[in-house]
Amino acid sequence: MATIDQEAVEIFKKMAAPVTIKIVEAAGLAEAMAYALDACEKRDICELVPLSADAAPQQSAEARTKVVCAPNLTDKDYKEFEGLGKGKGFTMLRKGMRDHLSGIDMAFTTADGAIAETATTILECMSDEVRLATMIAEVHVVALKKSQIKKTIYDVEDQLQKIMQKGATYTAFISGPSRTADIERVLTLGVHGPLELHIALLEG
Amino acid sequence: MQSAKSMNEYHEQIRESLDDSFLREALDKFAVAYKANRLMIFADIDAKGLIQEIAQAKDEALPRVEELYAQFKAEAEKRGVHVHRVETAAEANDLICKIAKDNGCKTIIKAKSMTAEEIHVNHALEAAGCDVSETDLGEWIIQLRHEGPSHMVMPAIHLSRVKVAETFSEETGKTQDSDISKLVKVARRELRVKFATADMGISGANFAIADTGTIGICTNEGNGRLTTTLPRVHVAIAGIDKLVPNIHDALRIIKVLPRNATAQAISTYVSWMSGSAEHSLNPDKRKIMHIVFVDNGRTALAKDSLCSSALRCVRCGACANVCPVYRLLGGHKMGYVYIGAIGLILTYFFHGRENARHLVQNCINCEACKDVCAAGIDLPAIIQEIRARLVEEEGTPITSSLLANVLENRKLFHTLLRFGKFAQRPVTGGTPFIRHLPTMFLKGQGFRALPAIASRPFRDRWEKISKILPDTGKLRVGLFAGCAQDFVYPEQLEAAVKVLTAKGCKVDFPIDQSCCGLPVRMMGERKAAENTAIRNIRSFDPARFDYIVTLCASCASYMKNSYAEVLAASAMRTEAEQFATRVRDFSSFVRDVLGLGEDDFVKSGESVCYHAPCHLCRGLGVTAQPRDLIRAAGEYKESPEEDVCCGFGGTYSVKFPEISSRLLQKKLDNLESSGAGLLVTDCPGCVMQLRGGEEKRGNKLKVEHIAEFLARRLR
Repeated sequence: MATIDQEAVEIFKKMAAPVTIKIVEAAGLAEAMAYALDACEKRDICELVPLSADAAPQQSAEARTKVVCAPNLTDKDYKEFEGLGKGKGFTMLRKGMRDHLSGIDMAFTTADGAIAETATTILECMSDEVRLATMIAEVHVVALKKSQIKKTIYDVEDQLQKIMQKGATYTAFISGPSRTADIERVLTLGVHGPLELHIALLEG
Repeated sequence: MQSAKSMNEYHEQIRESLDDSFLREALDKFAVAYKANRLMIFADIDAKGLIQEIAQAKDEALPRVEELYAQFKAEAEKRGVHVHRVETAAEANDLICKIAKDNGCKTIIKAKSMTAEEIHVNHALEAAGCDVSETDLGEWIIQLRHEGPSHMVMPAIHLSRVKVAETFSEETGKTQDSDISKLVKVARRELRVKFATADMGISGANFAIADTGTIGICTNEGNGRLTTTLPRVHVAIAGIDKLVPNIHDALRIIKVLPRNATAQAISTYVSWMSGSAEHSLNPDKRKIMHIVFVDNGRTALAKDSLCSSALRCVRCGACANVCPVYRLLGGHKMGYVYIGAIGLILTYFFHGRENARHLVQNCINCEACKDVCAAGIDLPAIIQEIRARLVEEEGTPITSSLLANVLENRKLFHTLLRFGKFAQRPVTGGTPFIRHLPTMFLKGQGFRALPAIASRPFRDRWEKISKILPDTGKLRVGLFAGCAQDFVYPEQLEAAVKVLTAKGCKVDFPIDQSCCGLPVRMMGERKAAENTAIRNIRSFDPARFDYIVTLCASCASYMKNSYAEVLAASAMRTEAEQFATRVRDFSSFVRDVLGLGEDDFVKSGESVCYHAPCHLCRGLGVTAQPRDLIRAAGEYKESPEEDVCCGFGGTYSVKFPEISSRLLQKKLDNLESSGAGLLVTDCPGCVMQLRGGEEKRGNKLKVEHIAEFLARRLR
């Protein structure tokens, strides 16, 4: 069992608030998945972006189903995710994000690391499915084990070194929902990517 | 983008900016908020230490750039990337157009890149028939308006929501509401289409790691991730100065860049790209990725020992955030492509003399930028060096060479100043201000009353004063007068002599001393600067003085910080260093060395506000001492933005009176808001500006040098 730096966990929680990350606690991955699916169920269906002028008229919100994806889960975990989502009327995906560029309701991912002092989640995303899912979705829910949280940015140096020595990789630091302050310096969320970022902290 | 062909045209452009009330208000709010937020975000961090580390790491990497490039290229190529290196902007554009053509790319999306702005790649791609869209919200707005960025991090800071709504209405063919969240939604919708359909994405790189062939980009919007993910081709453009040895260097940049740029602990998204990542639509399932390293003058700059530190820049934009001139003008008049202090510098090196000529004059030398630079670059010093080069390259303006010749020759200079007091008689009307100077001498100077030259300079009073001074003292102090006090405000020096003598100093005034040389240095007159420095060093015999005290913050910081540098190539360097160690400003000398405090003054109920001279608070880091002294002798009333420049800047206020005047009015508004009746400061230049301004505004505040105030209250 990996050790948990309790101080790092507390710092992470404290730093998450000012960058509008919602933190929840979960006993395990299944509970995090259930939380994510539940959060998606409670929200309004996402707004679709018409991708070209001659596209078929947008379906009404009532006629559509919510799109939920989980691109970086293992086969076993995805099966569980699918099972939990059954009966909610969601369209569930692991890949094929390019067919859903007009809108995805929720993306669920598992984190590869974290930095407490900046409330940063590290996500390996060599796969474009992972990158697209976590940018197109209106809500991104990340499952992060408490033992993965390191205190400072320099504490993840070895981990990054190992990732980047592997060969071609694409690694993301994500520290909040997509934001801009480009108009009159007014902070606005969801300019291109998620409007919400939720992090489920898992014991262990 | 400042584009003036002449100084007159530049003044016209400046006036346009000064008349833009939205810009004024937006930048004012930003300047105040930024400083407070920056303090907070660095609260738990050793900012100075971090900045020093960045500077050192960049200085070490720069001479190794060839080696780092070779290593980067090998590592990135192993990971499936095409790595290129080009010498000029034109070569870069040709190459990028060719990559587009070879891959059949017609629609192109871009994430923000200053290097892309630098080489004007959009023009080249559009000329080649491509459709190019910016995806950073601010960049997209200005692209639609056919404008350049007005800030390196917030390119559309000069625009109101109403203007953005107009622009978006025109773009979408529908009337758009000016509600900001609705405008952001419009951008989300419109740009999503462009993301989905683009053939090629162009990004910059905040760093390029040689060890692992990795580039990193920081964005808040996430447009960087989409730009480098959706299109099948990705071209990253980076200056070769972005090469760093390893991941640790990159993490260090991430630690400082967002904190200094926008007072964020980190940018929302940092994307680390080692090699070409997956792209499910390409036949081999991999993205086609090119990285173009641009030289465009950087190698030459790296070898330029006086200016190479400009290449440490991490493009945070903080030098603009704190610049009082930027705050008035915005980036379009305070930059070419690059903006703020670093913009003045990089324009000269990347975009040539003709684009830098006027721009580089527009630095008031308040050192606010140097104080916050993420990489510890001495920006004002490099700007002065560029002015010196312009003088060498293009010859000297007649006024400047006249002044240089005069200042080099102490006797001539002082004779002229003495003559000045007779010449001015018809114009002073017997007051201490010049009243009726013909307008040809007063162009734009009406915002402040100019002081008259004193009837007898301090140097002519000295013989009489010295006769009644005690022969001995615990400390031997050499008084350095500086021109303003010697010839305009001798009473300030007399006050200082009173305080110093009363507290046990033996004061002398070496008569051979002359102007400190800062004005000629500011004008780029290198030889005159050297000669005045040598004269002054020789005037103060090290065997005769423990300290050299001056009441002028600018003289003090210039002599202390720059003499050794000005004389770096001369045989006088060591003497210059020794001289510098003995120079002290009046406030810190009487507070720290003489230990003056409450017991030394008759404390009055007089309410006193304070203006912190740039060259004292930043140039010398003296901040607490003058305030302690004010508290010891009176009631100190704090006022907003005490450490922002008063707009004097020596010759700057003559060159740019329209800017100097605005800075002064703002300053006096702030000071008057304290409710104090007396304003003290510790620089005669600031006294001249502030007193002249108050004279015009009806003297709500009496203005004194701190030495005069303390002398009056001396127990």
